[in-house]
Amino acid sequence: MPLIADHAYLNTRVSVMATRLFRSSEIATLMRLPLPALAERFGLNAILDEQLPIRVRSRAVEQSLIQVLLAELLILVRPMSPAERTLVLDWGSKYALFNLKTLIRGKLYALDQQEILDNLYELPEQMRLSDETKAGLFRAENVLELLRQLESGSHRALARQAREIYEKQREPFALEAAIDQRYYAGLLRQVMAFKDHHLDPLKRLIGAELDRINLMWLLRFRFSYLLSASETFYHLVPSRRLLTRERLFHLVNLETFAGVLAALPRPLDRLMSESPNLVEVQRRIGSYAAQEALWVLNRTDSAVARALAYLMLRERDLLLLFALVQGQLLALPEAAIEIAVELAEPSCLWSGSRAA
Amino acid sequence: MLRSTPMKHVRLLVLTEDLPQASLALADLESFHPDPRPPQESRLVDAPGQAYREAYTQAHTRLEKIRKLIPITPRRGTEQVRVVELPELEALNAWLGVIWNEASEFEEELHRLDEQERLVREQQAALANFAHLNIDLGLLRNKTRFLNFYVGLVPRENLRQLEGAVSLADHILHVYMQEGEQAHVVIVGPTETKQGELSAVLEAAGFQNLPIPRELDRAPADLQHDLAVQRQEIERARAELQKRIAQWGTPLLARLRDARQTLILTEPLVTLDPSIRSAGHLAHLAGWVPARSVIRLRVRLEKALRHPFEMRVRRPSAAERPLVPTVPEKHWLLAPFALLVKQYGVPEYGEVDPTPLFAVTFVLMFGSMFGDFGQGAVIVFAAWQWRHKLGRFWPFGLLAGFSSMFFGILYGSFFGEEHLIPALWMNPLSDPLLMLRLAFGWGVLFLSLACLLAIYNRMAIGNWSGAIFGHHGVLNLVFYLALITGGLNVVQADGASGDATGMAAFGTMPLYLLSGSLAGLAWASWRKQQAPVGEKILVVFIETLETLIGYVSNTLSFLRVAAFSLNHVALSIAIFTLAGMMGTFGHILTIILGNLFVIVLEGGIVAIQVMRLQYYEGFSRYFSGNGHEFAPLRLRRDPK
Repeated sequence: MPLIADHAYLNTRVSVMATRLFRSSEIATLMRLPLPALAERFGLNAILDEQLPIRVRSRAVEQSLIQVLLAELLILVRPMSPAERTLVLDWGSKYALFNLKTLIRGKLYALDQQEILDNLYELPEQMRLSDETKAGLFRAENVLELLRQLESGSHRALARQAREIYEKQREPFALEAAIDQRYYAGLLRQVMAFKDHHLDPLKRLIGAELDRINLMWLLRFRFSYLLSASETFYHLVPSRRLLTRERLFHLVNLETFAGVLAALPRPLDRLMSESPNLVEVQRRIGSYAAQEALWVLNRTDSAVARALAYLMLRERDLLLLFALVQGQLLALPEAAIEIAVELAEPSCLWSGSRAA
Repeated sequence: MLRSTPMKHVRLLVLTEDLPQASLALADLESFHPDPRPPQESRLVDAPGQAYREAYTQAHTRLEKIRKLIPITPRRGTEQVRVVELPELEALNAWLGVIWNEASEFEEELHRLDEQERLVREQQAALANFAHLNIDLGLLRNKTRFLNFYVGLVPRENLRQLEGAVSLADHILHVYMQEGEQAHVVIVGPTETKQGELSAVLEAAGFQNLPIPRELDRAPADLQHDLAVQRQEIERARAELQKRIAQWGTPLLARLRDARQTLILTEPLVTLDPSIRSAGHLAHLAGWVPARSVIRLRVRLEKALRHPFEMRVRRPSAAERPLVPTVPEKHWLLAPFALLVKQYGVPEYGEVDPTPLFAVTFVLMFGSMFGDFGQGAVIVFAAWQWRHKLGRFWPFGLLAGFSSMFFGILYGSFFGEEHLIPALWMNPLSDPLLMLRLAFGWGVLFLSLACLLAIYNRMAIGNWSGAIFGHHGVLNLVFYLALITGGLNVVQADGASGDATGMAAFGTMPLYLLSGSLAGLAWASWRKQQAPVGEKILVVFIETLETLIGYVSNTLSFLRVAAFSLNHVALSIAIFTLAGMMGTFGHILTIILGNLFVIVLEGGIVAIQVMRLQYYEGFSRYFSGNGHEFAPLRLRRDPK
């Protein structure tokens, strides 16, 4: 009883919001809707302004969808305790990290300030870099200066490491990999700090997400970027669920794509079997992570885990919607849009159920 | 004095090439508050000042960064106001870019020295730690035939993942010390196996090599000495670099000062930029100007602009009132009270500025509640003595103290001694009922005045329905005055005969007025509700009851004015009673400490209570505080 009473409001809120998630039949319907109908249904008026270039319209749609997601996130964190709120806000802070990466890339490739600005996400106050930090970073005239600015803030350790890497390599991969790695490692650390009934559902949820990320990174780093086993291992964030430290240790040492898929633990081995390429793996692992999130949403009593699961599924839906809109904006043929929808990361629910 | 300074809306059409002159003229006049709303003409959509603003922002940023290396003191004397055109600003920005490039190299050198110093510090710590390792450390310095050694620092956060990664490259990692965010590690592995692989991992993990000092077989003290010498050398290098920076910066100082001044002159146009729209060569800018400054503005623009311009002036419309800025109260005596009013909000344009009324009523209430000639004089003295520290707030203490002194004379109170000076009027404790009656009367007057102001404020913006039926409107005031009159009738009748009770004693007219106004309020509330009948009845009943209870309790709230004046005397009596029990020294000490206690504690409490009466019983009735302050465009005369 106390568990239910603790978060009665949050649980109710999550349940009400969960009705917004797309059903498989709904996605099929959405795929047939023209742009004006999509715009009306989801309040995406920016796509109808034909005066604007397609890039700007597409960007406006992406921005509106992210606003929707983050607005819902802020509603859900209100009744949470500080630790719960921090976890969920930190999950959403990935968009602030996207902004940070955009700034770094912009400075690295000496892009025009306006162009950098156009590519930054508008974020709520709780998630964005402070105005002072952002202004400082924006004022920097090169990457080194930007990293020096970062060194004086909360990203101190990361920035120092990044600067040393940058001074040697002059490319953003290692820096961005470090940012991503720290983001996921931080989330996992926060989950493991929970001691009560939230721990298991959160471990399952974040574990599935880390399994997805690890598998994609492992395959990409090993077989697309041709990094060594040790370097690949270094960039991964071992999960507490399927792709544990020991398992990753074994997988990174395998020399073939098919070999890695065959050596995956159950049920991933069955789900990934005979995937011809990375794109197919992405689709299947995406749907696996979504199924896990759905399980947490429907079958657990931890309100914070349910809220986070809802947000992850909602993000997936909104990305799917964005893929649909973008396909139509670019006037792609229907078949291509269908392919795009299936390929959008993460993939849609119906493809997930098919894969499962 | 109570009314807002009348404002006009000014719309200017100038040629875009005249924009810098126009902005300077407007800033020089210090009477133009920009209105950022776009013009109604749909063709005026361009933002002509964008290039100017971008050049300014970058130049300003560069100058600020350069200033961290070369302190630029403001130039003495008055600077000539002149127009800065875009080409000049762009040239300045480019020059500052060059200077910043040079400056950033110095800055990087400073950072490198910091980094070197940090590494030497880490080495010193590591060396102290090596003493505990039971191996030949000389071997760690170089590769051996079979083994490869890496000794260095790694962020602790990366340690566990790095440990796994190096083991995949056939190496082992040993942590020999952890300090702060860094871990000191030794990584050992076979030579010529996966070395390239390991280097990539170490780079990704932020590994920093810590060179093992040569001649490790020497005494640790010698090694520590060497490291200390290295730190001294770094310090010397830093001092040398600072000298080079100073040498490099000195010839630039004059030009950097000029640059600073130029940027100050460009600020008005940059500030105005969001309010400027243009089409071709025509630019539109609009703003709010105090009515008294409109003619001066026209004359100033005629003098400043090279080309013709159009200036349209009009009164703000009723719908625009929330957008019109309010000119703040500037009188030095009222300044502290204006600050306190601002804590609640800025008066909306057209709304009565409560500052003068607040000042008068505050001072009166404070004095009446804390009436003591001696203690008031102490407050006056303290306010005068610390006037520099109190800043604009010191007249507050001065007036409160004078008021306290004045009421002290009326009450005949001097440092709590009630018999030392004759009371010009009476001691509050000699007739507490009279004091309470006066406080009650003051409350009625205060609340009626607040209602009148609320009515005036609504009428001023054409809200007639709000003025009559709204909260604290005409009907409320009628109801309140009828209630008070009826109540007084009952009290008087009771006192006179003792048998006149109920409605008859209340009086026919007050009763009619009371019922009529309550019915009117109930009707207005009924019309406002959008709910089922049952809910409407409930809401109307509760609202009407709330009006009745609210006014009665608000009036009784003013009894605290009398209560505190009585309390002040009672506290003084207590102090003198205590002092009376002591010897001469104790007597004097108790009186001094007691008076200090009364001044600090009771004075503070009285100030808070008066503030509470002002905010809750006054401001909440008639003051919206939704306005925004007049912030005219101005030149930074005294640069930081």
